[in-house]
Amino acid sequence: MRSTLPYDPRSDAFRETSWVERIGRRAISSLSETWALVSTLKDALASDFAPGVAAKRLVHGIMMTQVMFTGVQALSLVSVIGLLIGASIIIQTNMMMPADGELIGRVLVAVVLRELAPLITAIVVAGRSGTAIATELGNMKVNSEVLALSSLGVDPLRYVVLPRMVGCVVSVVALMIYFSIVSLSAAFAIGILATGASLSSFQQGVSGSVMPHDLVLFFAKGLGLGTIVGWLSCHFGLQVNSSPTEVPQQASRAVVMSLLGCVVYNTALTAGFYWLVGPPLPAP
Amino acid sequence: MKDGLWLEDASFRYGDLWVLRETELHVPPGRTLIVTGDNGVGKSTLLYVCAGLLNATAGHVWLDGHLVAVKKPSELMRQGVRRGFLFGQGGLLSNLSALANVTLALRYHADLFGMDEEDLNLRAREALAQLRVAQTDFHALPAHLSLGVRKRVALARALALNPNFVFLDDPDGGLDSATRKLVYERLEGFRDDSGITVVIATNSRQLIERLGVRPMELAHGHLLPEDETRRSHRA
Repeated sequence: MRSTLPYDPRSDAFRETSWVERIGRRAISSLSETWALVSTLKDALASDFAPGVAAKRLVHGIMMTQVMFTGVQALSLVSVIGLLIGASIIIQTNMMMPADGELIGRVLVAVVLRELAPLITAIVVAGRSGTAIATELGNMKVNSEVLALSSLGVDPLRYVVLPRMVGCVVSVVALMIYFSIVSLSAAFAIGILATGASLSSFQQGVSGSVMPHDLVLFFAKGLGLGTIVGWLSCHFGLQVNSSPTEVPQQASRAVVMSLLGCVVYNTALTAGFYWLVGPPLPAP
Repeated sequence: MKDGLWLEDASFRYGDLWVLRETELHVPPGRTLIVTGDNGVGKSTLLYVCAGLLNATAGHVWLDGHLVAVKKPSELMRQGVRRGFLFGQGGLLSNLSALANVTLALRYHADLFGMDEEDLNLRAREALAQLRVAQTDFHALPAHLSLGVRKRVALARALALNPNFVFLDDPDGGLDSATRKLVYERLEGFRDDSGITVVIATNSRQLIERLGVRPMELAHGHLLPEDETRRSHRA
């Protein structure tokens, strides 16, 4: 065993840095942060294809648990929000075009199915589970649990990140469908009771305006938004170094970035999709 | 073939703070290395670098001839490098019971070890029993266990893997005399096992004397035999 020769600690004394060096350092730091962000997603997805049948079985079990925490336990909250959103839309729409069940049905498709169901579901999951995931992973970092996993030969991206990401994707898609059903049902019920419009006119409005490509957009939004929430929550949770004070900071950053990412993705996908396939609503 | 632990021109730094500078180190298989050093000098970090839990800023780390890469810990296990690591506070997974902590790696690599659920449970229970963890603690979460029990569970977790490398960070810190005695007995077992390479970071004179291993001191990024470091300090 041998070491190198004596070391002079004075050689590491702090020195002035020029503005060019500071800008350079900042640019390099931004680039490495972006690369780390992309790597988290890329490596977590790739980890599912790594060898190890037992590991795959174990991780798939954790995915199911994650769907339970993220999806099933959010059902009651999504029910209440879906119900109230459906009611609000029908109240507003009824003031503008009373007793026109078909038109109200078309508005519900445009507002609820195409925009609100994906976005509100993603916001609920980001607020409820995104914070929980980021905090849990941050605490795991502080308590050396992530290092402990590595020391045991357990890949943290496979064991910790992948199940949470998949759990978010499955939950967002399932909750979107559930939100749409609750919201449309509430809107139908209140619409029939309050405006006297017939159920068949609502159904005509909804079925007439749902196009096959709406399903493509619906699921593209669900998959994308679920991935954004799971990915960013895990990534920022893992950015905690060793101090417990970093945990709430990174959890807050995870939620803010998830919400921003969801809104940007939702808007960009809506704009891009209809630019490609043309306007969704046939003329009334 | 780079048997045992090799550090080849390895450096590690946090920003401008050097923990390790261009260090060459070889711990042959079956040998024990004890690292001492002032608080905050980077003993734990050195342990992480040696175990491949942190990437060296420069240079290479080899475990039994395999270059370690932080990103793929399971690959090392598949190559036959089984690492047991005892963290200062135990490093147990807080959402798993004591038993589940010990079975985790066995279950994750069950296909590699050729174990079924019954085998891995049996091995985990045996490891916990060797460290005298009470059966009533098997299903308790780490938060409900004392530091001494947490450390014993963590040691059992390392033991259950049948490791060929054991890294111990302050193994007797905060333990009562009975638990310390038990841990020392286990560490003597590791020291005397020719198949296990052991690296310990500690400042406990009692442990150093008990193991009878000449320690190396980490100071200013360099590992030197403890008496040499003292001589250079006096000079």
